[in-house]
Amino acid sequence: MKDPYQVLNVPSTASDEEVKKAYRELARKYHPDNYHDNPLADLAQEKMKEINEAYAEIQKMRGTGRRAGAGQGTGYSRTSQGYGGYSAAGDPAFVRVRMAIQQGDLQTAEGMLEQISTRNGEWYFLKGSICYRRGWMDEAHSCFETACSMAPDNLEYRQALERLENSGQAYRPEGFEVFTTGCGGGNLCGAMACAYCLCNLCGYGGMRFWI
Amino acid sequence: MFGYVRPALARLTPEQRQAYQALYCGLCHTLGQQYGPAGRFLLNFDFTFLAALLSAGGRTAERRCIASPLRRRPAVEPCDALVLAADLSVILSWHKLADAAADSAFPKREGCRAARGVLDRAYRRAAERRPAFAGHTQEEMDRLSALERQRCASLDEPADTFASLLGGIALELPDPLQRRIFSQLFYHLGRWIYLVDAVDDCREDAAAGRYNPVLLRFGADGGALREEDKAAMALTLDASIRQMAAAYELWDFGIWSPHIQSAVYEGLYRVGNAVLEGRFHADRRRGRLAGKKEQI
Repeated sequence: MKDPYQVLNVPSTASDEEVKKAYRELARKYHPDNYHDNPLADLAQEKMKEINEAYAEIQKMRGTGRRAGAGQGTGYSRTSQGYGGYSAAGDPAFVRVRMAIQQGDLQTAEGMLEQISTRNGEWYFLKGSICYRRGWMDEAHSCFETACSMAPDNLEYRQALERLENSGQAYRPEGFEVFTTGCGGGNLCGAMACAYCLCNLCGYGGMRFWI
Repeated sequence: MFGYVRPALARLTPEQRQAYQALYCGLCHTLGQQYGPAGRFLLNFDFTFLAALLSAGGRTAERRCIASPLRRRPAVEPCDALVLAADLSVILSWHKLADAAADSAFPKREGCRAARGVLDRAYRRAAERRPAFAGHTQEEMDRLSALERQRCASLDEPADTFASLLGGIALELPDPLQRRIFSQLFYHLGRWIYLVDAVDDCREDAAAGRYNPVLLRFGADGGALREEDKAAMALTLDASIRQMAAAYELWDFGIWSPHIQSAVYEGLYRVGNAVLEGRFHADRRRGRLAGKKEQI
């Protein structure tokens, strides 16, 4: 096993607070939400596991863990939901498409999807997921929008759309707040206003030139 | 490639900026060493960034050059990664010139043809050394030409050709894990570059009646994008930058980590914003893209 301090990138003399801070930063970085529908999700999951184990190991060594396996119990260890979790009860043809997407076999998934004549919310959601995985973000966005308008109550579709729209939610290292556009609507504005205030608070006015 | 990809220099320490300058010089020397004086003219920010992605470090030596004939300046020594970056620069530049010659009218067309002619020998040499990448690039450029002829109105489809083209750089890497991560990183870098360039060219293409997927996608015949079109464009550009950042976090880029980090978390957003607002070229001239003062 690797040196747990090395994994968290802190010296072994770091205080409990520093270790916790380093752990939180890394856990935020490799969180499954940042790698949802990403072809590299499995690598991030491995990183996450390594970080959780390192943190638990340090806590064990220092006797600071409040409970056994504290690292695993922090809520950061949640693995990606994947497909089939929510709407598995639906049409078996759609379930098969979900399976193929989950296995990363996008060509098969797309082929099977084209065979399905029911063009409902689920169809557009799966089409959007395939596009997203491929990196076809513009088409993914319109598919997710169509899915949401066809099934406005579906949480999974809404989350997919929000994930694509709310760039402010994704991981960034502390202090990085520039966006391609100053105002993308929705939560982005809130995030921007918040970032702007924080920036002014600490006296760094750099972003005012840009937004 | 077109000079859009750059680190946010204001985020870097003076030492880190100096190291990047040495990489810039190192790539220039490598281009000169491998392809003669003509090779040096291909040097730009995008290729320097490519060199940073491909090399985790490298020895530095003090060297003189045409731009600095008296004072020796630190330059990263030619190494495998720089030679690879130089080969890729030649292949990509040659195709860019071929594409520009096909798209332009007299006299620009003649200029591009002449420049490509100068590069012909260098291209043959690079293609011999990197047959997989050269072949792949040719295929993707052909696919792009076909989409251009069809006047494809999708953003993703033509962008996919240039994205896959850059993703093909991963073919030249030996480690399978690195290949996986880099193919994703380069795909989205290529997608981002293609789309940013298309936005940048909107007015010119509209005036000349040239193919531009952004104009077709948003029906912006006059070349000006509406605010909602810009927001949609920003959304799709941001999504690609996030994918790049996610891939970046899975690999150790050695001494170039801060430079790449500043690009994928800030520099690209700045450039995208400047291009969308039509300020890119003015900002570049005034050195505003670095955040504060541009040093390279």
